Amino acid sequence: MQKTLTITPSRCTSCRTCELACSFKHAGKGGLGIARIRTFMFGEGKNQILTCFQCDEAACVKVCPVEALSRNESTGAIEVNEARCIGCGLCSIACPFGHMNHDGTNGIAVKCDLCGGDEPACAAFCPSRALEYR
Amino acid sequence: MTTEKTISLEINGRFFQAREGMTILDVAKREGIPIPTLCYHEALESVGNCRLCMVEITHPDWKGWKGLVTSCLYPVEEGLQVTTDNKTIWNTRRTILDLLLARCPDSDVIQKLAAEYGVTVTSYRKNDVETKCILCGLCVRVCAAKGANAISSAGRGIEKMIARPFDQPPPDCIGCASCAHICPTGAIEYEDTPEVRKIWGHSFKMVKCESCGRPIMPEKQLEFEAEKSGLDPAYFKTCSVCSQRKSIDTIRSAFDMKAVGLGEPVEVAR
Repeated sequence: MQKTLTITPSRCTSCRTCELACSFKHAGKGGLGIARIRTFMFGEGKNQILTCFQCDEAACVKVCPVEALSRNESTGAIEVNEARCIGCGLCSIACPFGHMNHDGTNGIAVKCDLCGGDEPACAAFCPSRALEYR
Repeated sequence: MTTEKTISLEINGRFFQAREGMTILDVAKREGIPIPTLCYHEALESVGNCRLCMVEITHPDWKGWKGLVTSCLYPVEEGLQVTTDNKTIWNTRRTILDLLLARCPDSDVIQKLAAEYGVTVTSYRKNDVETKCILCGLCVRVCAAKGANAISSAGRGIEKMIARPFDQPPPDCIGCASCAHICPTGAIEYEDTPEVRKIWGHSFKMVKCESCGRPIMPEKQLEFEAEKSGLDPAYFKTCSVCSQRKSIDTIRSAFDMKAVGLGEPVEVAR
């Protein structure tokens, strides 16, 4: 069975290690703007982590004019083929959850790809096991 | 499993495996062998317009014959021997860039690329008409990929240009500005204001984000995208920042409803 990235909000301390781990893994540098995962604090230990849901019927895949977005059947994640992406930004507008982002330097779409089947960096580095890949 | 034929070829003296139907450029890109390109984009059909990706090919069976081909179009062959950089190729690319610099002396992209091949001042007569367009046709191909087919190349020889039909604002243009974004030299200009986008002589009214009022895309593009993708037009009426805020608000209200129930999964409404 495919593994799933599970989020347990009650364990999240909003330390933002996942955001750092994600941006280092994907872009080789720290920066919350390029992280594919976000944490939010609502106060009083109410924290939430948001990342791509890898929707079954994904709006981003439907709108992409050049088929740059496709599902990796082994991980179940929707991945961006960066060479194919023309940076039109349609996927980030169409995503009803706001989980698509664009690289500020070249406009190429960035999204969670579950780290291609390895344990996702966010889950590997999460100190409180709020993120697990199982 | 489909039985795809594997082809082995030689690039710069090293052996590589490739699938049938790949081009020399596909293999070189995969292996990280640098070949300069201007009109190539992986998502679009290659046409070999800019000629910069020229490589030299030969084959043991060709009795010493060798020639220059555009690597973006030439399909791999068993036993093919490819050279991506030598004196002949260098001179060819230099001539191409010299000519491009004569056409577009003000383009910083061409200036930079030409300088890499030692051309800082063109040896030809400079173009009288001020343009940054190198006629690579990427804009035409991306417009076709979007499904709009609004612009095309017109004329031949020195009169060739990327044109609108009958030099009027193209009726099929949806104002997506993909042509302007993909242009390697930034030759296509457009102007965005919070109300309208001006491109190709059109003035498109912009749809604004329902929450924050930031302009998202032209109204005509929204209709086009909704019809093409089969999605509800509402999908395109919220910007990504506000969509994310909406997700957060949904979760926040779920938190507020069950003050302590933090361990339970939060269902996010679509």
